[in-house]
Amino acid sequence: MNPMTRLRIAYQRFTSCSGCQLTLLNCERQLPQLAAVLELVNFSMASSARDETGPLDLVLIEGSITTAEQLQELLALRRRAGRLLAVGACALSGGVNALAGGGAERERLSAAIYDQPTLQSFPPQPIARFVPLDLELPGCPPEPEDYLRLFGALLQGGLPWSPSFPVCMECRLRENLCLLLEARQPCLGPVTQAGCAARCPSAGVLCEGCRGWVDEANRGEQFRLLLELGLSEGEIRARMGRFAGEER
Amino acid sequence: MRTLSVEPLTRVEGHGRVELGVQGGRLRRVRVELFEAPRLFEGLVLGRSFVEVPALVCRICAICSGVHRIAAASALEQALGVTIPPLAARVRELLLLGGHIESHALHLFLLILPDLRGSDSILPLLKVGDACALAGLELKRLGNRIQELAGGRAIHPVTVEVGGVAARPGSAALEQLLAELEPWPQHLAAALEPFGGNPNYPPATPVLGLPLSVESATGFGLQGETLRLGDGRRWPGADYAALLQERSLAHSHAKVATGGPFLTGALARQHNQARGEGRTPPPNRAGIHANNGAQADELRWALSRSRSLIEELLAAPEQEPLLSEPVVGAGVGSCTIEAPRGLLVHHYLLDDRGRVAAADIVTPTAINQAAMEAQLLADLQECDEADLAEGAQRIVRAYDPCISCAVHLLRVV
Repeated sequence: MNPMTRLRIAYQRFTSCSGCQLTLLNCERQLPQLAAVLELVNFSMASSARDETGPLDLVLIEGSITTAEQLQELLALRRRAGRLLAVGACALSGGVNALAGGGAERERLSAAIYDQPTLQSFPPQPIARFVPLDLELPGCPPEPEDYLRLFGALLQGGLPWSPSFPVCMECRLRENLCLLLEARQPCLGPVTQAGCAARCPSAGVLCEGCRGWVDEANRGEQFRLLLELGLSEGEIRARMGRFAGEER
Repeated sequence: MRTLSVEPLTRVEGHGRVELGVQGGRLRRVRVELFEAPRLFEGLVLGRSFVEVPALVCRICAICSGVHRIAAASALEQALGVTIPPLAARVRELLLLGGHIESHALHLFLLILPDLRGSDSILPLLKVGDACALAGLELKRLGNRIQELAGGRAIHPVTVEVGGVAARPGSAALEQLLAELEPWPQHLAAALEPFGGNPNYPPATPVLGLPLSVESATGFGLQGETLRLGDGRRWPGADYAALLQERSLAHSHAKVATGGPFLTGALARQHNQARGEGRTPPPNRAGIHANNGAQADELRWALSRSRSLIEELLAAPEQEPLLSEPVVGAGVGSCTIEAPRGLLVHHYLLDDRGRVAAADIVTPTAINQAAMEAQLLADLQECDEADLAEGAQRIVRAYDPCISCAVHLLRVV
């Protein structure tokens, strides 16, 4: 692909907290530069500009799919998208909302909270269940730098690099105390995909695994290490399953 | 009656629409519809250990993630009878202030300023080097830097746990932050100038809704156990449910407060604060758009309070405790706290193993929804039909609504 001078992008959010979109707006020092190369349409949190039909260089999707209307919108955007990118845990795995479960439990909860049966929705589904993805940005939320690498690479005609090693690698480079082995806390760094520069352990707080499993994560060994720390199987499943989506 | 649908609402957080019923050229009926898909947060917390709750419920909303996390932890601490160490309370307050600064700057400069400049978004303003937009971004960045230091991360902060905080910000980083805060008092007036009693705001009628805010034990603060009402009444925070009388509406995925209508947010805080000190609230010629001016005033306060807190944190001894160990058991607790856009309530019932047996969360946008509908109807009475959609968008924006918050109310009994 050739270098581009300008990217026409849509940023659509489905079922989520807006954190991935807000992370883009949190690139405060880079927004003036981005303003020169990005044309935003259908990014309702940041802009009133709308375009319902034209072609788009890049479509970013935050959030999971939980209604039929959202699915229609996703399919329409896929048809218009040069590239489609799923951003964040909700789009990639369903995110924390998937923990609410499905089936009869979901209907019971819906009725209990909203006192009415009118809310037609289904359990959170990852974007890849319905359309092919060209790119993924992990994280709950992703790092601001994830966006900068993405736009930089696309404008140069390339694709962004994504690490295939765990958070521990970055944590060691920053010479942090090992929270798992030395502070004996249930840190998920060894099984979690890097790219956040070990943000949480560097602030003195354990990794909760928000960027999802690293390739070939040794989850069995992680489970055993957490058992050794004295956590119950239930506690470990809850910690390791927080961002893993409905499969677990 | 014809229905004009204003959809989607833009430059607000979340998915919503306004339906305007027009008859004989006049606006007769207004409905604000918040149609975020339900996310069933109660399904996440019910039966889970209290330890997990703050990290899960902060994901209700990105802009308010810090205050949600603190509200959850505080309510659970009350349920468990834990008192957090004083240093932890300071770190949390700094996180709240960072969130306040970031959220207000986001609202004023990215969501409101484009209206005042006749633009779709902030991007065209940045392209022409609009000094106000650039200063606003720096202010927003400062809010995020404060959140990163106090919370470990700007969105979904990680340091706040039940019992206190897991880590304190490092001294070198705090010193640097202090230096960054230093020049702001000189720049602030110019940056915030567009949001005062501005002629750019559309014509408005007087503000509707009874002001409702949290009364802090320490003068103006963001957290407290008493609610203050605009008519001078005070109400125990723990009895919030009797005051708000929430119910769900068929046309909205949020639950509205039916006891009011109430107005919550910066303008309500400013009104109640003045009344509490025996002062007359500042004159308001901008109607609900004066909420933007009140946010600007709060930015001044939040920056100066942040400086004092950082100095206190720098002076705190290295070994001062940050966490009190909670004793697992049954209990009930609630927290009333000011999110940037108004009163937020978290309430939890724990069983004897510390698992959530019931939860209730009331968000500011749900509280404001009834007043917002009434204000739209009042303000747009004289509006030409061609300008209705734009007028409605601007009124809704003035409340700084957070729709993804509004629809994630939990109430399982």
